[in-house]
Amino acid sequence: MALFLSAGIVVKLVLGLLIFFSVVSWAIILFKLFQIHRANSESERFMDFFWKSKRFDAIASQVDRFANTPLTVLFNEGYGELKRVVEGGSGRSDSSVLSTDLGGIENVSRALRRATNSEITRLEKYTTFLATTGSTSPFIGLFGTVWGIMTAFEGIGKTGSASLAVVAPGIAEALIATAIGLVAAIPAVMAYNHFQHKIRVLIKGMDSFSTEFLNIVQRNIAGK
Amino acid sequence: MTARPDTGTGLGVSFIFSTVIHLAVFLLVIWWGRLAPENMRLQETYYVDVVNLPAADPRAGSPTQKGDDLEQAAPTPPPSVPVPENPMSLPVPPKPDARAKTTRTSKENEATSDSTSFAERMAKLERKAEARHAEEALAGLQKKVKSSGSGRSGMPTGSGTQGGSDYTAYIQSRLKDAFRETISYSSKNPEVMVRIFIDTDGRIVRRKTERSSGDPTFEIAVQRAIDLASEKFPPPPNHKVFEGVFIFRPQGISQNKP
Repeated sequence: MALFLSAGIVVKLVLGLLIFFSVVSWAIILFKLFQIHRANSESERFMDFFWKSKRFDAIASQVDRFANTPLTVLFNEGYGELKRVVEGGSGRSDSSVLSTDLGGIENVSRALRRATNSEITRLEKYTTFLATTGSTSPFIGLFGTVWGIMTAFEGIGKTGSASLAVVAPGIAEALIATAIGLVAAIPAVMAYNHFQHKIRVLIKGMDSFSTEFLNIVQRNIAGK
Repeated sequence: MTARPDTGTGLGVSFIFSTVIHLAVFLLVIWWGRLAPENMRLQETYYVDVVNLPAADPRAGSPTQKGDDLEQAAPTPPPSVPVPENPMSLPVPPKPDARAKTTRTSKENEATSDSTSFAERMAKLERKAEARHAEEALAGLQKKVKSSGSGRSGMPTGSGTQGGSDYTAYIQSRLKDAFRETISYSSKNPEVMVRIFIDTDGRIVRRKTERSSGDPTFEIAVQRAIDLASEKFPPPPNHKVFEGVFIFRPQGISQNKP
């Protein structure tokens, strides 16, 4: 505490910035932990429910129970697009338009891809701040340290004393900036890597679900 | 596109949690800092007056070589073996007859009287030797105390104005300690010669820079060292004003001996 209070204005600003980075990055870490944990657990439950159900409209009526998994978004988008294609085709005289027109499947595939992209964006939201904190905080801290040491040496030059008692406090004040920078950066880097891995797993899950959804659609249309 | 649940609320709650965690860590650090000891302070240097320490024997533990010289110079005590009166007489073998017995009796009487007188002489000699030894030891100690350049670790008792005396060495040592804390210079090999006058009560009454280095940083360091050291100067011996010339260099302090 005394080190912070006795530091210069630049070092104080640097320390304040680093503490802000640390608070925000921890907020993001907690939020993302909660978000990804819920997405994973609800995805598993949704996939169980999906494979047990026989009809898409039955799934669509129960999909609100799994609001936090990205798979429900994919399902809603795909099912909505499928309904639109079927409803558009039923207006025509030829009722087997979907089975012969591959454009209908393509529409559903595009809708699923778009939903996947939007979900990836949502899952990766704020993680860039963690990456920024992890990569820049040590440098910001280092800047504060260099500035503090410069100030300390100026003080030494003015007092004309080079004893340990004169030099040590200035160096300690300066080094605390690097320490806080590392304290902010290390959890941010670790959390960023962890979230990247978890998001990658979720993306794989979404790709698999999209493929399965398209397969089911195509099988049903071919069976008609 | 299906609407997602509002993520802003979750992030806001996380932000509050994060702030609370940081505050808790901050308070923990303050609490830990109160438990930890205060900043280290420089330990006071104590100077022990070795010469005036109480000792059982003034010769015991003398730091100089002169003490040994005194030992050698002291007269050796006389031999405790009784010396016969006539050293040249040869030992006579005992005779078995009665005459010889009488002679032996008279000789024993003579020997008894001789041993009494010898013991008296011995006691006299020993007293004389002891007195002489004590006188020489005292003279040697006085000489050692007055001699210059010996016993640097002790408090001054010699003439303070002499270069290399105990008091000068003591002042030099104090200046060296203070200079170690204040040393600072910005030129190559600066050198400052300062003449210091110390009053009878141990205060610096005057200081004169005899030779300047041209390095203001070094000059300030020297002046600060003198100020710092002068806080604990003892009064010079013999109630005389001390005058000493010291040369300050980054490597240390030396006396300017004429």
